[in-house]
Amino acid sequence: MKGSTWHGVAVVGSLLTAVLFGILLGDLVWQGLPQMSLGFLWRTPSELTSFGGIGPELLNTLVMVGAASAITIPLGLAAAILRVEYGARPGFLLVFDRMRYTLLSLPTIVVGLMVYEWFIVGLRWPLSVGAGVIALAVVNWPFVVDVSVAALKGVPDSFREASLALGGTKYLTLLRVVLPSALSALVSGLGMAIARLMGESAVLIFTAGINVSRHWGWSAPGETLAVHLWYLRTESVAPHADAQAAATGVVLLLLVGLVLYLTQKLAHWLKPMDA
Amino acid sequence: MDNEAPHINVTQLSVAYGDQWVLKDVSMTVPGGQVLAVIGPSGCGKSTLLRVFNRLVDRVAGVHIKGQVRVGDFEVIGDHVDLVELRQKVGMVFQHPNPFPFSVFDNVAYGPRLQGIKNSTRLRILVENSLKQASLWDEVRGKLRRPASSLSGGQQQRLCIARALAVSPQVLLMDEPTSALDPLSTAKIEELVLTLKGQYTVILVTHNLQQAARVSDFTAFFREGHLVELGPTKEVFTTPRQLATEEFLTGRYE
Ligand SMILES: Nc1ncnc2c1ncn2[C@@H]1O[C@H](COP(=O)(O)OP(=O)(O)O)[C@@H](O)[C@H]1O
Ligand SMILES: [Mg+2]
Repeated sequence: MKGSTWHGVAVVGSLLTAVLFGILLGDLVWQGLPQMSLGFLWRTPSELTSFGGIGPELLNTLVMVGAASAITIPLGLAAAILRVEYGARPGFLLVFDRMRYTLLSLPTIVVGLMVYEWFIVGLRWPLSVGAGVIALAVVNWPFVVDVSVAALKGVPDSFREASLALGGTKYLTLLRVVLPSALSALVSGLGMAIARLMGESAVLIFTAGINVSRHWGWSAPGETLAVHLWYLRTESVAPHADAQAAATGVVLLLLVGLVLYLTQKLAHWLKPMDA
Repeated sequence: MDNEAPHINVTQLSVAYGDQWVLKDVSMTVPGGQVLAVIGPSGCGKSTLLRVFNRLVDRVAGVHIKGQVRVGDFEVIGDHVDLVELRQKVGMVFQHPNPFPFSVFDNVAYGPRLQGIKNSTRLRILVENSLKQASLWDEVRGKLRRPASSLSGGQQQRLCIARALAVSPQVLLMDEPTSALDPLSTAKIEELVLTLKGQYTVILVTHNLQQAARVSDFTAFFREGHLVELGPTKEVFTTPRQLATEEFLTGRYE
């Protein structure tokens, strides 16, 4: 009885969420419709005409999220492997987990301020794509570690014991049993971390700036889609700024949706044989 | 004479987790090629004893081992023991069937592949022979590419036995291998153990006294970390020398 009641609540809840999301997306599409064209995707933004686009923002989003992920995924996975597979010392585990939880609970705007202080003020870096990548990497790092730790801990210890008992070294056990068994959960979790990073704006406003330069470069300012959206909604005086913001929102949502869809598909395909 | 099933000699073995001693001054000999049943109340150290024999006990932080264990002339205890070599000699089957989330074939081929065997004909022969030895071949011959998880619990346990045999061990440790299985599957595994006798030295932990009586040549009774009695199974069951053994066998305490 109770179980089916909760099941009902869950179904209604998810239906409601889907409906609300549908309304939101429909509204955005409706508002953004006047701005939507293929050219919108690659033209540069314009403050003066209603003929701007989001080309550089799209590029910056892909490059910065890609670069930050390329830095944090191998490092985060390595840290998680150290923690779960090789972390025999209780002291190490304690310090590691403290740091992980602290970084996880840090508001991203604080991370933005820290990177601003160290790199922009301290090292005199310009507001730039490079500084933005660093900032995104710092934000992403604890999430990658968290997702990886969860994926590795999800591998039953009986698999490790079986492999060791057959004469497997720790390293071969990791390589041939633990990682393949964790891969699906890893991909799905990392997909969510990447999707989350695409919507990040607070950390980038002080570090990568809120405009784009004519010539792309690591040391040139590099606004992303999420930051552009924030800018259009708050600062812009461009004609049809609201419609542009709506259209930008649609593109960002589709991009996030695409990342989630592809990684979940891949995760499903990589599922170990017991599931 | 590499294939001869070896004796196991245990001399004054004591094991502690932290400062809790769970095996106390155990000395015993298991004759080669025989089946030794290890019985005793739960928590008396049976699993610990098995995990000393293949040093899987090393996984527990803060474990201390004193004494000597020899498998044939291989020293098991010490800081510089080649654990890979030891574990190839001494295979293990666990309480709950724990096949890898791979196909039936890949499960059995796992150990040989660890040793670097890549030749597919050789692997296929090894897999087939191991499955035959584990009396599973007839049930899975057309299903080698299926997930191991598609097998029944009893089949999975026999798959785990095949997987252990594929490494060509000389000793087989079995930690309550039928406690999670139905009576029919249990009977199959007991039959299997009887066929393994001679070729392997088998140490079988069981809480099923009839099972010990049916399949073992020798029985060891443990209590609170002490070896109370070890002797030919018939003698231990009919004329135990210790009162504690008799009380345990007659179910007067658990
Ligand atoms: N990993 C461990 N850490 C600490 N104590 C343990 C561990 N494993 C077992 N023990 C303790 O050691 C004793 C013997 O356990 P075990 O060898 O599993 O006994 P049995 O297999 O006979 O039930 C028990 O008191 C148990 O609580
Ligand atoms: Mg046990």
